[in-house]
Parts: sequence; C-alpha cells; structure tokens
Amino acid sequence: MTGRFTLTTAILLALAATGARAEAIRIGVNEPLTGPFAASGTYVVNGAKIAAEEINAKGGVLGRQIELVIEDNKSNPTEAAAVAEKLITSDKTPVMMGAWGSSLTLAVMPKLMDYEVPMLVETSSSGKITTSGNPFVFRISPPSSLEAATFAPTVDKLGMKKVDFLVLNNDFGRGAATDFGKMLKDKGVTVGLVETMDQGAQDMSAQLSKLKASDADTIMITSSVDQLVLLFKQMAALGLKKRVITTGGSQNPDQIIAQAGAAADGTMHLTTFLPWVPEKTPDPKATEAFIAAWKQRGFAFAGVTESFRGYDGIRAIAHAIEKAGSAEPAAITKAFWSVDFTGLNGPIRFAKAGPAGKESGQSKPDVYLIEIKDGKVIVPTM
Amino acid sequence: MTRLLPLALLAGLVALPLALGANPYLLNALIVTGILTIGAMSLNLLLGFTGQLSLGHIAFFGIGAYVSALTSLGFDVELGFGLRAVHEPWPPVVGFLLATVAAGACGYLIGRLSFRVRGAYFVIVTISFAEVVRLVALNWVELTQGPLALTNIPAFTLGLPGLGFWTLKSKLQNYYLVLAVGTLCYLLIARLVHSRFGRAMRGLKENESLALSVGINATRTLTVAAVISAAMAGAAGSLYAHYLRIIDPDVFLFATTVTMVIMVVAGGKGTLMGPVVGGLIFGLLPVALRPVMAPEAQWIVYGLVLIVILFVLPRGIVPGMAARLGRRPARSAPVLEASPAVPQ
Amino acid sequence: MDELIQHLVNALILGGTYALLGIGLTLIFGIMNVVNFTHGALYTVGAYVMYLTVAALGLNFFLALPVAILGGLVLGAVIEVALLRPFRGSDIDTTMLVMIGAGIILQSGTLWTFGGVAKAIPSPFPEAPLQIGMVSVSWLRLFVLGAALALIALTYALINRTKLGLAMRAAFQDSDTAALMGVDVRRIYTATFALGSSLAAAAGALLGPVYVVFPQMGGLAELKAFAIVILGGLGNVTGAAIGGFILALAEELGAGYVSSGYRDAMGFLIIIAVLLCRPTGLFAKAERIG
Repeated sequence: MTGRFTLTTAILLALAATGARAEAIRIGVNEPLTGPFAASGTYVVNGAKIAAEEINAKGGVLGRQIELVIEDNKSNPTEAAAVAEKLITSDKTPVMMGAWGSSLTLAVMPKLMDYEVPMLVETSSSGKITTSGNPFVFRISPPSSLEAATFAPTVDKLGMKKVDFLVLNNDFGRGAATDFGKMLKDKGVTVGLVETMDQGAQDMSAQLSKLKASDADTIMITSSVDQLVLLFKQMAALGLKKRVITTGGSQNPDQIIAQAGAAADGTMHLTTFLPWVPEKTPDPKATEAFIAAWKQRGFAFAGVTESFRGYDGIRAIAHAIEKAGSAEPAAITKAFWSVDFTGLNGPIRFAKAGPAGKESGQSKPDVYLIEIKDGKVIVPTM
Repeated sequence: MTRLLPLALLAGLVALPLALGANPYLLNALIVTGILTIGAMSLNLLLGFTGQLSLGHIAFFGIGAYVSALTSLGFDVELGFGLRAVHEPWPPVVGFLLATVAAGACGYLIGRLSFRVRGAYFVIVTISFAEVVRLVALNWVELTQGPLALTNIPAFTLGLPGLGFWTLKSKLQNYYLVLAVGTLCYLLIARLVHSRFGRAMRGLKENESLALSVGINATRTLTVAAVISAAMAGAAGSLYAHYLRIIDPDVFLFATTVTMVIMVVAGGKGTLMGPVVGGLIFGLLPVALRPVMAPEAQWIVYGLVLIVILFVLPRGIVPGMAARLGRRPARSAPVLEASPAVPQ
Repeated sequence: MDELIQHLVNALILGGTYALLGIGLTLIFGIMNVVNFTHGALYTVGAYVMYLTVAALGLNFFLALPVAILGGLVLGAVIEVALLRPFRGSDIDTTMLVMIGAGIILQSGTLWTFGGVAKAIPSPFPEAPLQIGMVSVSWLRLFVLGAALALIALTYALINRTKLGLAMRAAFQDSDTAALMGVDVRRIYTATFALGSSLAAAAGALLGPVYVVFPQMGGLAELKAFAIVILGGLGNVTGAAIGGFILALAEELGAGYVSSGYRDAMGFLIIIAVLLCRPTGLFAKAERIG
C-alpha cells in the first residue's frame, strides 16, 4: 500500500517538477511488509521515512530532495528478487536498501551483479552475504560471526558449559548456529543439540521437549520476534527453565515483554541498539532525537530496535550520494567506501570483506547483551 | 472461423511486443502469464478431458523447476550410508528435458493412483502429494537450499556446437521462447485430443462403463493422460526457473494450483482454447487490478469471479460464447461415435 | 522416558482440537457430499472473533468462546444458503470449486481487515504450568483439551439424542428416502454445514490463545483436517475423532524423534499411505455417522 502510494506520489512529483525543480533522487527500499516478517519490515520502513524527512528538511542531497520508492517483498526470496529488478529497471533507482532477512538479501544479490547497482543491507546477518564476492553489497548489521566474537568474553562470565541451539531453518538461523557453535567450541564449551523450526511454525513443543530432556545449561535461540514470543510461552508451559540467549538483533524486547509477559523473565538477548539507556549509546543526542521523532509519529516504542536500522541505512546512503557527487550507481558504489559517520549503534564505515578484487563492505556495529527482568530491560553488570 | 481464432490469437501475441515496445513490466507479466497458461493447458488435459480433478498439479510444475535448476547448477549431496551424489552443471536445455521426464514420471505415479482412488479421495491425495514435495524442498537443505532459495540459475542457452550459442537473457527473448513452447504444447494437445486416444479419454469421462464395454483400457488411458499432462507442467516449471533464475519452496504453493484451476474452469474445461483464454484473462487481471486495489482485494475479486462464472457460465467462457454465437453446444457431440468434434 | 511421556502428553492435548476440526469436516462430507474448502477459513474466523471479543472489546475469555462458536454457526449457515443451495445437484467437483472460491474470499478478507501481522490473545490462566513429576502441562492447554472433549461429547449427543440428529442420520443414509419420510432435507443441510463450521471456528478460538492469530493460519489446519478425515474414513465421526489423536501423535513423535522439519509432512504421508493400503480409511467398516 505504502509502496503504491509513494510510487504514485513520485510520478506526480516528477510530472509536476518539469524544469522548475531538480528531480528527486530515488532510493529503492525492498522490505517485507506482508508475510511472517511484516512487523519488522514495516518498522524498518518507518525508520527510513524519518531519515528521509530529516534529510529533505535540511535541503536534501546534492541540492535535490530524496524520494523513497518502497516495495513489499512479501517475506519471500523470489518476490525480493522481482522487487529488486522492478526497482532497478522500472523505477531506475541508482541505489537500494534491503531486504531484511538473509534469505531475501541473498536472493537479491545476483540482480545487483547483473545491473551493477549497489545495495545497503540493514538487517541480514548471514556470513554468506559479505563473503560471496559481491562488490555491490554494503552491510551495517553485524554478521553472526561478528556477533559471536563480541559475545565471546561473556561466555566465561556466565559460566556456560554446554549449549543447545534452536534456530530458524534458513540462512539466518543456521548461520548463527554455525558461527556461535564454532566460537563456543574454541572456548571449550560443548555444543549439544541443534534443533530447527520453520519460519511459520506455531507449535515448537516437540523441539522444546527434546531440549528440556537435554543436560545443556544454556539454549541459544535465533528467530524472529513473533516466534520468540510463542517459544517463551511454550517453554513456560513445559516448565523448561534454562538460561536462554537469543541472537540476531531482531528480537524486539519490548514486544516480547508485552506479548510473552512473565514467560520472558530472565531471558537474555544480544542486540545492536540500546534505546532504553540512550546515554550509553555512541551518539546519545542523535539517539534521543530519533526516539523523539519516532514517538512524535505515534509509533510504539517497541519498534525502535528495528527501525533505527532503516534510519541509519538511509543516512548512510545519503552520505554515499553526497560523497559521490552524482546519483549514478557506479559513483555511489565507489563512494560507499569513503562513508564515515557515527550511527545510532556505532561508527558506520565499511571495511573490505570477502574474496580479493570483489570485496563487499562490512561496517562494525556495537553488540550489547541485555536481560529482561521483572518486565523491564536491563543491562546486566558482569 | 473456429480454426481462425487460435491463429489470429497467435499472430496477435507474436506482434504484441512490437506494439508494447520494451516495457519490462508488461513483458514480465506476459511471460509469467504464458508460463502459467502452459500449466493450465496441461491441467486441462486431466481435468477437462479425463475429468480427474488434480489439485496437486503445482507439484509437477515445481518438480520441473527444481530438476531443471539443479541440473544446470550442479549439486553435491550426502545420501547416507557413505554414498554421495555429485553432479557437475549441465546446460539448461538438458535440464528442460530432464524436468519433462522427471515430472512425467511423477505423473505416472499419480495416474496409477487415480485408478485406485477416485473423486474426493483423488483430490485429497494429489494435494497431499504436492505438500509432501514442498516440505521435502523446504527441508532437504543440502540439495535444494531449503528456504534460502536456489539462486543464480543460468538463463536458457540455445544453439548447436559449431554454430554458436545464444543465451536468452532479455525479457523479449524469453517471451518468444515461452510463446513457442506454448504453441507447441497447444498443437500437441490438439493432435492428441483429435486422435483415437482423445476419444478414449472423453469416452471414459462421459460414460465409463460404456467406454469399458467398447474395449477402452481405462488404466492405460488415464495413466498416459497423466504422464503427458505432468510432463508439460514440468516443462512450464523449467521455463519458470530459467526465466526468474531463482526458485524457492513457495513455488509449490496451493494458491498457484488454484490459479491454474480458475484459468481452466473459467476458460472452459475440455476445450482447446479454454485454458488459453482463461489463462490470458486471469494472468493479466492482476496487472489491470494492481493500480486500483491492494493484492488482498485482488484475491477477493478472483474468488468472486470464480463463483460467478460457476453460476453464470458453468461450462466456461469459450463454450459459453460459442453457444451465444449460435454454434452447436460444445459438449453435445457424442464422443464415442465417429464425430471428433472438439470445439476450438 | 520423561521425554517420551512429555511428547505423549503434548500429543493428547493437540489431538483434542484436531479431532474437533476433523469431525466438522467429516460431517459436512458425509451428509452433504461436499468437500469443504472453507473449513480452514472458518477456523481462522473463529480465532479472529475470539481476538476481537477478548483483546479488542475486553470481554471475558470464557464468554468469548461461545461468541466465536456462534460466529462460525452463523457464517456457516450463510455460506450454505448463499453458495451451496443454488448448486444442489451439481457434481462434487463444482461444489468443491465454489468452496475454493469462498475460501479465498474469506481468507483474503481477513487479511484485508486485520493485516498480516500476527495477533496474540491474552488468556486468564497462570503462566506456571501444572507439574506432575517431570511432565508439565500449561493450564491453558488443559482447558483447551477439556473444552474440545466437551464439544465433541455435545456433538455426539446432538447426533444421537435429538430429532435434528435423527434427521441428519436419515439424510446421511439416503437423502431421497429421508425427504419422502417428511424430513426437510434443505434445512438439514443448512444445519449440518452450520454445525460443521461452528466446530471449525471452535477449534480456531481454542488454539488462537495457545499460539498467535494470523490470516494464513487456516491453510495448514485445513490440510490437516483433510488428513484426519481420510484417516477416519470420509463421513465417519468416530473415525475422525480417533484420527485427530493419531495425527497429533504421529506429528509429535515424528518431530521429537525423526526431524522437526518434517512435522507437518506426517499428516500427508499418512494420507498417502492410508489411501494406498485402505482407500476407504482406517475405520471403513464402521462407516456410519454417530
């Protein structure tokens, strides 16, 4: 719906702006607005809109306004690829942001090679995205290996001995199980079961019963927020009381607290943003301004842990266009390498990753461990 | 007159891209519509001519897509017991042939089954078959990449060694490829329906005991029809995979079967032109509706149109229109006699 | 051992709602000879009515349940009168296609009205489970099992102990003779479809609070209902009740000991196996309703 609206507006604007005003620079946004990831995708898009409005209010980029062309990839990889093709060929967007899930982003990547258009990856965490030799990919979210490395020192502090995994049966979940498993083995921690579930699965009692019977002390879970809510409820129903740590950065603790209630008490989550304690974030003023803008639009606070990525993503793209000096795909691709500013979760500057000669860009955001205690988010002191 | 309609339509479709220019959005819609129409034509062979309602038709389509994609991508799979299947990539054309064969083989199984279980049971068995195949595609990650989708599927390459090769990357090339395969399928079905075998098929559908009494081998007829139908759906699946160059387990969704069934029933089951007309209408309807309504609302329109057509034109648009134009009602020809009248 | 018992308990609880779904579908098929492709959509509607009354209107959880069942009953009656009555006498394929059309409209309608984001229904039961030895069961799920069993018993009583049930059984045996004996077959059909629909809505209303509510939730539920009905033999109510528990057991053990990814495949594998070996279902000999 939003996509269509923006599209028509964009066309109308383009028609109205004959000669009088320079045409807006279009940025393609490829996000899941329906399907299992609909909630998260919508948050990211809303964050992106705030960034676009802010940038336009300050005069835009290169003296031109920016215009987001938002399309729904329906949480499906084939759709994500089709959307990317439409954005590039039909809407002629010189740069894109997307596509939330790792499977969705991986599906889009061949199109970037075909048409040589760069994409900023805001959420996906699979390692494959930056190691497959696609020089048009620039990622601001942490790959699971980076997340695992940041978490490594905490393993000893928590006294973990044996860990089971329960992950989504896709790149996001399996990638996390592999990377965290490797890190844990290096630290001498035993890795037990690796159970999987489909992204649409509702009843995980069977997997949880299996995990309950295991002698591991910790369960690491990688999934989207809706499924985490179900999991915590079902764990409580089965009397499964072990240390739970979730990964992936899309857990949205406030939604978990609201929907899972007491069942979520004591669970720990690896996140990339600390909106609960703005003073601990890398740029407290920017964080507070963003949260204020978010609340002013009437969005639920719970959404900020997702939406900040859309906000930072569009800001990074705007920086790249500014440095490129033109809104051409090749110039923007080159300019991404000189982007350097402080995002809401740490510095955004891209380091080379993947095979030499065709490296992808990877930024290194901060990763935090938080805990839900008595219905509140706290940063545990260790 | 009736012979002219398909020819006129073909001529129109050949000329269409010239009129449209290179509008990628419309061409894309036409290609996908064309591929689905081939699927609908193959479904019509079973549903229209033998009267077996298979609601798992998408399984053949999806199997064709996956076989073709995997043939051209190659794979390396651990089969257990120390066995290992390693396959080096082959050209997509080979994938296309293998897709047809593999889907046809599955059609053989379903055809045999259709003789054991009929009516509602057959419908439910075919749905179950498609769901099992979807779940295998979803869970056999080592082979199919599961929900991660098979990406980077090569585009079709035509040509002969010595003469050079031609990779069909552009939309226009794919459009004509789909049109060519579609025309071939149409001609094949027309030949088949007008043959002795076609009369046997329709005879079985209209009066099974009579058909059996005049010596028609029911098992063989139904099985052959199912094999050809499935093979054609597999071919359509292969076109789909090499055109989109990405497939994921959602290719097996029940909704796609429903779309094909709507195309056949609305166009007119048991007629040659029915699925083509139905396919074009329902394939392009979303393009027409897209600017005016949300996708959910489009599906509501789909459901409504299906019900309305069953009310108003229970035999479909093509026979309904033919009857309007004063021609002999399509289905009244007694097929067991010599008259090979099949409405065009 | 504890793990096995936990799996068995899980299966027992899930089986109750599965049986409810199956009985509704098998009644409609047995009496009306209609393969009901709106069953999944009615399951979804039941869950959304529950969501609306509990979460949006703030009505009591236990009062919302009958509201959802009533919703299914009314919607089912409307579908029968508007869409099935005009097609009486058509072949089974035609009514099947009409039902597919209606199912699409209902499902897309819920998506349009409520959006794609899943909704949670709050329940009044304590979060801490009932603990017996190493086995735990949540209070909510225990309630769901109890309510499902009660509804199954009610359905049995309706079929076996009331005049309506007697007429339904007569229509099942031979609708023409029943009509000759003074049974208003048209009303029986409407009542049957409404009853079957209300059972589907009840299953949705019961499972909605256990999981989450979203527009596509009915798709898989419908396919599972088909599996249950095939397992029990089309038109066989007792068969469907037992079939529900068998499917739940197969899924739970399959997910626990084979592979969790193939959990949902169990039902379909059962269908194919049953139809290849015993095409009329496991309990074919007892084929009658009641």
